[in-house]
Amino acid sequence: MLEVTDLTVAYGGVVALDGVSLAVAEGTITTVLGANGAGKTTLVRTISGLIRPRRGSVRVADIDLTGHAPEAIARLGVAHVPEGHGIISEISVDENLRLGGLWRRDRADQRLAIEEAYELFPPLLGRRHLHAASLSGGERQMLSIGRALASRPRVLLLDEPSLGLHATVLAQIMDRLRTLTRERRLAVLLIEQNARSALSVADDAVVLSLGRVVARDRAAQLAGDEALRHAYLGF
Amino acid sequence: MRTFLILTVDGVTNGFVYAIVALALVMIWRATRIINYAQGAMGMFTTYVALFAISHGVTYWLAFVIALGGGFLLGAAMERVLVRPVESRPPLNAVILTLGLLIFLEALAPMLFGGQVRSFPAPFSRIDLSIGTTQLYFSPYDIFVIGAVILTMVALLLFFQRTTIGLRMRAAAFGPEIARLLGVRVGRMLTLGWGLAALLGAMAGALIAPAIFLYPNNMDEILVFGFTGAVVGGLDSPVGAVVGAVLVGLGLSYVGGYAGSDLETIGGLVILIAVLMVRPQGLFAARKERVA
Amino acid sequence: MSAVRLPRSTVLRHALFFLPLGVLLLAVTYVLDAFTNYNIAGIAIFAIAAAGLTVLTGINGQLSLGHGALMAVGAYTTSLLLKSQPQFPFLLTVLVSIVSTGVAGGIIGVAAARLRGPYLAGATLALAVGLPQLAIHFGSVLGGNQGLNVAPPVAPTALGGDFPEERWLAWIAIVAAVITLFLLANLVRGGTGRTLRAVHDNETAARIAGIDVARVQVLAFVISAACAGLAGSLFAYWVGITAPTGFGLQLSLQLLSAIVIGGLGSLWGAVWGSIILVYLPVWTSGLTSNLNLSSDITNNLPLAVYGAVLVFAMLVLPRGIQGTVTSLFGGARDWFLKRRLDQRTAEVEL
Repeated sequence: MLEVTDLTVAYGGVVALDGVSLAVAEGTITTVLGANGAGKTTLVRTISGLIRPRRGSVRVADIDLTGHAPEAIARLGVAHVPEGHGIISEISVDENLRLGGLWRRDRADQRLAIEEAYELFPPLLGRRHLHAASLSGGERQMLSIGRALASRPRVLLLDEPSLGLHATVLAQIMDRLRTLTRERRLAVLLIEQNARSALSVADDAVVLSLGRVVARDRAAQLAGDEALRHAYLGF
Repeated sequence: MRTFLILTVDGVTNGFVYAIVALALVMIWRATRIINYAQGAMGMFTTYVALFAISHGVTYWLAFVIALGGGFLLGAAMERVLVRPVESRPPLNAVILTLGLLIFLEALAPMLFGGQVRSFPAPFSRIDLSIGTTQLYFSPYDIFVIGAVILTMVALLLFFQRTTIGLRMRAAAFGPEIARLLGVRVGRMLTLGWGLAALLGAMAGALIAPAIFLYPNNMDEILVFGFTGAVVGGLDSPVGAVVGAVLVGLGLSYVGGYAGSDLETIGGLVILIAVLMVRPQGLFAARKERVA
Repeated sequence: MSAVRLPRSTVLRHALFFLPLGVLLLAVTYVLDAFTNYNIAGIAIFAIAAAGLTVLTGINGQLSLGHGALMAVGAYTTSLLLKSQPQFPFLLTVLVSIVSTGVAGGIIGVAAARLRGPYLAGATLALAVGLPQLAIHFGSVLGGNQGLNVAPPVAPTALGGDFPEERWLAWIAIVAAVITLFLLANLVRGGTGRTLRAVHDNETAARIAGIDVARVQVLAFVISAACAGLAGSLFAYWVGITAPTGFGLQLSLQLLSAIVIGGLGSLWGAVWGSIILVYLPVWTSGLTSNLNLSSDITNNLPLAVYGAVLVFAMLVLPRGIQGTVTSLFGGARDWFLKRRLDQRTAEVEL
């Protein structure tokens, strides 16, 4: 579903991504791990169109997205949940959710999608018409993910969803995520620093270091590889 | 007492016009962190265009619509062609750019339309009404101005709060990167925003022209007063802009009436400095930032 | 024979540059016609004001849209002094004007010390639009709309009875400009300049380093106001009449555009900008008279061109003339150096 081929990104003299390739199949979660500065966020921002790559390509369902504007890429079914919540505080919770799929033609399905987001994350329902600024960290993360899902994406890019979240809340969200991925045949790319929790929910894993892919395997295998874990993941 | 009432009505009426300018400035400031110093001059230019139309047989109302439409196009074109390239550069560039446009328009207008002072028609009488022998202190035109401004503000409120495109524009202004990730065409929304702001400026120009006459620099003071109103209210608050502008209008009216009409602008300056020194964030601001 | 060594001291180096330059300019006025000398005086006067504005806006980063009003303070001080004491000595008149404008600048600087960005711009804008009106309100003293007349300065008899008025005016202006630029150049290169720049670059860091930011901001205003005062005083002599219309928003914007087009932050840029400021109307009026265009067009064409050039400059040449020239030279120099380096490397490898 999502195919990244030989992606290279450089700014000034710094090479942030160096020939990164990966593929995420429908209905699976692939996690991208690595230390700070390894290029994980750059990768996701390039896929969603916020950064232009110097070389390489990004394809979704065989459509070449490379070099397109982020809004066009979003309309093709790529939902990016940015690092640090990515909600708009000055508008209401409901408006944030609606924003997720304003461009969709199917209005009825859109309303349904929003209702589903509330079912998925009940705390949001009570705060429906409040400014998003009044939400707690965990609720913001829920809103962020709910908003991404409300656009009925094919590809979901999650950048550090665990940031600032309680372990229990995180576990709940990850659990729901796995269910949704299977049910809706999503292709999920999960960026995480918290490697342990990511590896427990993902199907496949890719490890980045200094912009390069240094390891690639099934998540379970990687979790069991002690040497690799010590070298790149810190546990 | 009578003087006080007259000055109050004048202050409120003028204040409402300053309010539209203030709203236009705040709209653009919130979306792009730029103050459009050319906003007043653009309003002057569209009023000249309207006068041109009127002198060629077009009715006032059609000319008014033409001015508004022209303003919209001017603002949209300005964003697309001039402002887009400098949005990502240091703020001084945008300041110089809008000032350059101000100078250009204030020179172009007399070149096209002649530099002498012109009178601009009012669609309603500007003579104060009276019921029997009691004189009221406002004229039909004053009612029209206040009514038009209130109507516009309500329309804007509904537009931004209740329509999808209004939501998109708010998203584009408050969180452009996230909005893009959600499929909002942020560039288009910004162009639309500038167009709307310029439409407001055009309205201000046409509404105030009967009172202050039409000449190339006539909107300089209006811009300053509108800006002062926006600052008093807090640059990030549309409600503040309106309240601030009306307060400024009142203040200036009293200064002009009791101290001398040529002290009005200095009075405005004093108000501005006083507010900036005493309560820098304005009356309605949520954030306490005074840095650009 | 060894190459000539430039003295280490910046002040001395600057003196060695400015002194001959000044003498050269004074000599050149002998071969130029009256009209050109008059324009040279104008360029020098604007260069003084523009250089002061460069220190404030270009180097210290405070945007002022109101320096036309400060020039007005200088001009009106001079005009009032001469009105009440027609025989007041020239040098003293100018000095008093510099001081009065410097004080005005200090007051504004204090009021504006906490303002940044659009707030500062808006406040100085209000000043530019509002101050000239004071002249109308206090019309009996300040001459109202008609303004106050100023007689041109008379050349000392030592220079000969028939020393032309324009040349003397040009001489005064040139000497004033050379001295001002010399002083400012030293200031910019020295500790004060560094402090001004430091506050512009990163205010928080400057504060942490112990710099009294508010005092620096006020100082910058005072310096630039003193320059505006000098320019305004000479301006009164140059124009011959001091009236509010000459000091409106347009003058402030013209000064700002001069330093931007010339190259923000560069004293040389202030000079380029002033040349354009004075000569643009001359060129365009030549153009319009050839084409027989109406007076509305003639009067406004220079400003229309200004506005257009400003917009164009921001879009295409954000660093102005001086900046573009420097980067071109820098680019050429880099190219030469690289070539030499490559050659040397090649030699070493062989």
